Amino acid sequence: MANIFKQIKPDDRVSTRTLLHEAIPLTGTIVQGTYGTFPNEENIKNYGHGMFQSVYDYPYLSSSANHIFDLSVGYANQSPLSSTVLSTHIQQSKKVNMYNEMAQVAVGYNITGGILQFDEDGDILAGGNKIQSGYFINLTRLLMKDEIKKGSFALTLGLEAAYATSNETKAIIKDFGGVNDYRVNSPLGEYGLLYATASVDDNALIDETTDQFNSTYKASVCGLIYYQAGIVVLSGSLFNDLAVGGLLKNSAGSCVMSTAAGAAAARTISEALTGSSISSSADNLRHRFDNLQFNNTVELNSTIYFCRMNHNEFNYSGNPTYLSSSQIRVKQVSTDQPVSYVTTVGLYSENNELLAVGKLSEPLKKTPANEFTIRTRLDY
Amino acid sequence: MGFLDNSGDIILDVVLTDLGRKMLAKGDGSFNVTKFAVGDDEINYQLYNTNHPSGSSYYDLEILQTPILEAFTDNAGSLKSKLLTMENQDLLFLPSLVLNQATGITKMDVSGAFFVCVDRNTEDNSAQGLTTSVGFNADGLLRTGFILGESLGSGAETSNYVRVDQGLNTTQVSPRQNLSPSLVETDYMLQIDNRLGSIISKDGVTKAVPDYVDDDNIAYYSLSLGTDQVFVKQNTSTEVSVDQAINGPRGTILEFSIGASLELNTSTYLFTQLGSTTTLENAGGTGTTTKFIDSIIKCTGMTTGYTLDIPLRFIKI
Repeated sequence: MANIFKQIKPDDRVSTRTLLHEAIPLTGTIVQGTYGTFPNEENIKNYGHGMFQSVYDYPYLSSSANHIFDLSVGYANQSPLSSTVLSTHIQQSKKVNMYNEMAQVAVGYNITGGILQFDEDGDILAGGNKIQSGYFINLTRLLMKDEIKKGSFALTLGLEAAYATSNETKAIIKDFGGVNDYRVNSPLGEYGLLYATASVDDNALIDETTDQFNSTYKASVCGLIYYQAGIVVLSGSLFNDLAVGGLLKNSAGSCVMSTAAGAAAARTISEALTGSSISSSADNLRHRFDNLQFNNTVELNSTIYFCRMNHNEFNYSGNPTYLSSSQIRVKQVSTDQPVSYVTTVGLYSENNELLAVGKLSEPLKKTPANEFTIRTRLDY
Repeated sequence: MGFLDNSGDIILDVVLTDLGRKMLAKGDGSFNVTKFAVGDDEINYQLYNTNHPSGSSYYDLEILQTPILEAFTDNAGSLKSKLLTMENQDLLFLPSLVLNQATGITKMDVSGAFFVCVDRNTEDNSAQGLTTSVGFNADGLLRTGFILGESLGSGAETSNYVRVDQGLNTTQVSPRQNLSPSLVETDYMLQIDNRLGSIISKDGVTKAVPDYVDDDNIAYYSLSLGTDQVFVKQNTSTEVSVDQAINGPRGTILEFSIGASLELNTSTYLFTQLGSTTTLENAGGTGTTTKFIDSIIKCTGMTTGYTLDIPLRFIKI
């Protein structure tokens, strides 16, 4: 019996799951200064509501621009930064709202429905230190895909105290040990702790003894990273001197986050978080942004169909050029081997509906003397 | 579509077809791969040179150098010619599909297409005292190659129709020889643009039901020997005859007519969108400006894989 189809048996089909990773490097030049004069670059989008700032890889009015991440700041109601004297604070309610929004999504609620705060070590039940103020870096799905690969995150910030020379002393914020040491008590999936160390100045950060990561740095947790959500929470303490409860033991003191417009007074992180708008605070972080790199992850679910062509199968063709007056062109006598050439494989439903097509880059010669298995993979 | 890079390892470029994506999006389990076929759309077997001076290793040199196009996502545009599994590896002849134009009633128009009159006004408007219709000539005879797409040839009038014969179209084998049962085509698939027309039996009585209509509005009809007797029948003729299109052993005959779609019947929208105009001789012997859309019916033997494209022209005055 002639046949143009061959059934795919259960043994010819297999499902697999593969994790693909891409390295994503984001240099500081994308984030500041390349597409205009800081802080008014064309790839930075501020909104009328002022709740966050979007960073693009190209001027955002261009159709070529890709949205890469959002920046925002916030602090908890319980934070010392929160004040009832609202005249001295800018956008306080919005900053509190922003903190609460991020906290309720990433940390969740207590049994009475109250919003939990970000916990420094992830051990919520034990209490301990909370991250009550800081920056939120929300990476877009375009960049982080299904999730950030654990242990691959590295954010380099300039932590020199002086504003103008902020990048002369750099620190790397890293999810050290994230591959094996992460938390699962968030409603948003898995998250890890971010640790800081110096990239140049060994003495820039507290508890630092060498340039290598080690357990000593467990003391210098400076944020959290939510791998599946692509959210990074950076503690405001990262920019504060040890003497005022921060992490820095920089001899020059706390980082100057901004200079107030038209005034000589320098602003610490606390002053900037309370006295600047959210978009200005985002500018402050961008000013100290040196580099960000991580590996994203794509979870690829595949079905592989093994299209097996045995020696006695698919040796003839229905191609109109295959025949000349019904005689097979590739044969001169009947005992010649039939020959056909495979260029295409099609996957069909039971109703002969063509669901997928595969093309070989060059024709495969099929004769009764050979067999092929075409491995056709469909990724979802 | 570009060509695939054939400078290194053999690669396989696979895509879901638009129909496959549509079925996947349904989420009802209809996306279920159960079988596969292989094709050779780009191959021109006329390049197989059995007289190559350098010997048999060079017979298919040009064929093996054929550049292969990237995969099409259009399900109707891929795998037009399929490879075939036959138990017998010693066959010298394979059956083909031939449009039978041996009799006047199954002939195409001299322009090389079947003309489908999409409404009665185009078929014959003499009842209204007009002579502008183009289906019949001045003598009242149905023009060769014209199919009555509205009246369907039912009743007093007999419409032309399409007849496809299957078998070994060679004079080297006598038609008295029986065609091997494995070479007899028993299942046909017809593809026609569903916006334009549908498949009807040649007597205009039985409407075939499409298996499905894909996302590109192509309707797929399966017609089988035995279950669709008004469409597919055994060719029992074993004589050399002028009304046969197959010179050698004969398999089956596929016969059908074309019904015009309701949209073509009632509107000129698609003619404006997809077609053009021409002048055809009318029943009065003069010319009538006629709107037309050119299309094809693709006829595929589902057993032997042979494909035949039949040109159609839908016309409306």
